Amino acid sequence: MGTNSRNVFNPIRINPETCVKCNLCDWICPGDLIYKEEDNRETLPVIKYPDECWYCGLCQSICPTQAITVVFPEQMVHNKTDVVSLLGKVAG
Amino acid sequence: MSAGSDSFQRIDTDVLVVGGGVAGSMAAIPALEAGLKVVICEKGKVLDHCGSIGCGVDHYLTIMDSGPEWDTPEFLLKHVPELTDGIVDMAVAGRVIHEMPRIFRKIESLGVDFRDRQTGDYYRLRSFGLPGTYHINFDGTDFKKHLGERVRKGKATVLMRTMVVQLLVRDNRAYGAVAFNFRSGEWTVIRAKAVVLAAGDVNRISKNASGLAFDSWHIPYNTGDAQAMGYHAGAQLANMESVEATLTPKGFSCQGLNALVSLGAHFVNKAGERFMFKYDKKGENARRAVIADGVINEYLLGNGPIYLDCRHLPQDMLDRMEHTLQVDRYTLPAYYQQKGVNFREELVEVSVSELSIRRSGVYFRGSGLSVDVNGETAVEALFAAGDCATVSGGISGAAVLGHIAGEGVVQRIRAGGGALPEPDPRMLEQVRAQSEAHLRQDEGMPWKDYEETTRQTVSDYVGVRRDERGLKLALDTLRALALRDPQLRADDLHGLMRVHEARNIRMNAEMMATASLARQETRTGSSHFRMDYPQTDDRNWRKFVIVERGSDGPVTRTLSTDQPLSAAFSRGNAAVAA
Repeated sequence: MGTNSRNVFNPIRINPETCVKCNLCDWICPGDLIYKEEDNRETLPVIKYPDECWYCGLCQSICPTQAITVVFPEQMVHNKTDVVSLLGKVAG
Repeated sequence: MSAGSDSFQRIDTDVLVVGGGVAGSMAAIPALEAGLKVVICEKGKVLDHCGSIGCGVDHYLTIMDSGPEWDTPEFLLKHVPELTDGIVDMAVAGRVIHEMPRIFRKIESLGVDFRDRQTGDYYRLRSFGLPGTYHINFDGTDFKKHLGERVRKGKATVLMRTMVVQLLVRDNRAYGAVAFNFRSGEWTVIRAKAVVLAAGDVNRISKNASGLAFDSWHIPYNTGDAQAMGYHAGAQLANMESVEATLTPKGFSCQGLNALVSLGAHFVNKAGERFMFKYDKKGENARRAVIADGVINEYLLGNGPIYLDCRHLPQDMLDRMEHTLQVDRYTLPAYYQQKGVNFREELVEVSVSELSIRRSGVYFRGSGLSVDVNGETAVEALFAAGDCATVSGGISGAAVLGHIAGEGVVQRIRAGGGALPEPDPRMLEQVRAQSEAHLRQDEGMPWKDYEETTRQTVSDYVGVRRDERGLKLALDTLRALALRDPQLRADDLHGLMRVHEARNIRMNAEMMATASLARQETRTGSSHFRMDYPQTDDRNWRKFVIVERGSDGPVTRTLSTDQPLSAAFSRGNAAVAA
């Protein structure tokens, strides 16, 4: 049950060279997934709960230095699911 | 970990709003204008984005009274019974529709520019089966920012990263709530003369193509918190049997596809047939529920995959599409890019999204908390608006009913209600202790597994095809799952918030299955399709199914749609005088 054991895909890439450690991505994330130590210009933001990402890209849109890129996992980009399997066990 | 009730932060206010989206912000505005103190609890951290879709807005439904007959409240209202397949609270829908022009002008006065940047005029489109060009297509990237600014200017207190876990109710009157901040762990008791629930729809409730629980069409952080808390507080809910699915690019449950359809895109099946006219004479201009139903049927007939086809459209229309794509969902262009699909020249494979409990693809019929014409629920001084209420209509429905509820709150408070009760300290302590116990369930059930069971059960038996046997099986599973509530494990404060969400999702699924079992007919296609009662039965089922708390879980009763939902409320003086 569940998908917890699977390796968790990281939905966003943060470029450590261009990130200015400003806290805005932490502030804007609607899912409370990105944690950035406040008042510390040394530490990078951490994607603490990557499997709870909605892929909304608000972090990317607010980043002042375009240091964030949203990356979609394989099962979203090249999806192989049989849609009929989502329509329930009563249909057949 | 545990502490006495003196360890709670205490806030006394006039109005508590749960949820800082469009409905919550619009409810706060009239209260602030009346000089009332307002506290808003919000799980996110900003007021600048829509609660349902997290971004801007690309279309807004309104009447403008611009001259032609179709652009009047009377004309639209006349069509509401057919738009809702007869299941609608005409009293509340009537109030919402009549208030549309006024609230539209008010939003314009807050700084939202609905005009087309190029022509300087309103670009109005016909979509989702509505009998006129009621949707303004516009660049609403900053729509919510203007609403949020007004709330901030009004000096509302906004508690961010805060989850409300229980309403305070005495003698069927709401007087506040208990909440905790999932960053600091601080608990707060908020006493208020009135409470507005505006926490949105129910997501993460069934499976989708990607299999990722948080990949949902509407924001996955809307988890039916208002509906579950309202239920526990004694409010009534209606239309909970109606589910909503949409169509998405396969693999990414995002909005944006419907905007393409309203701009002229077609659906085709694997044989290349444009099939939508088989299901509705309006073709792709049919209601959202009908469009989704058509695609579900084609898949079940073995005619999938289904594709979105934009190739016939003129370049200027494709340009407009490309521009509006990212307003609703910022990452959609990047998704198409990573996928390597150019929707201008290629077919885009389409999937049926996960389900949600919202308004079942129908305007003016919401699934959620029953309200009267002032937005007040069956519990006095407890209001609801937006996707968690029974009259829902996208962004504009949330804005209009939100504003109505805000004005209703002002009336309710002016009508008096005596001193605010003092909550029982033992009850407060118990709420907190039970919650924090999840942090110590080292061997307990992970909330992700609990949620996955809910999703699988709903997908299999409470989804787009239902029957009595399957629904009973689902109810058995969902009730058994509830027995495990106390053992749910949270690894940290963030996880504790998710535990509460997971419980709320399950509660909503149980309400949905209970209501679905009660309605022994099929209505609005796949929104409520009973294989054992495949026909729409107007003679016996022009009725609401109302869900409320019984002694042993949710119970249902029915009410003729000739009556408003508030006719089933037991509180005296059903509405304060307008």
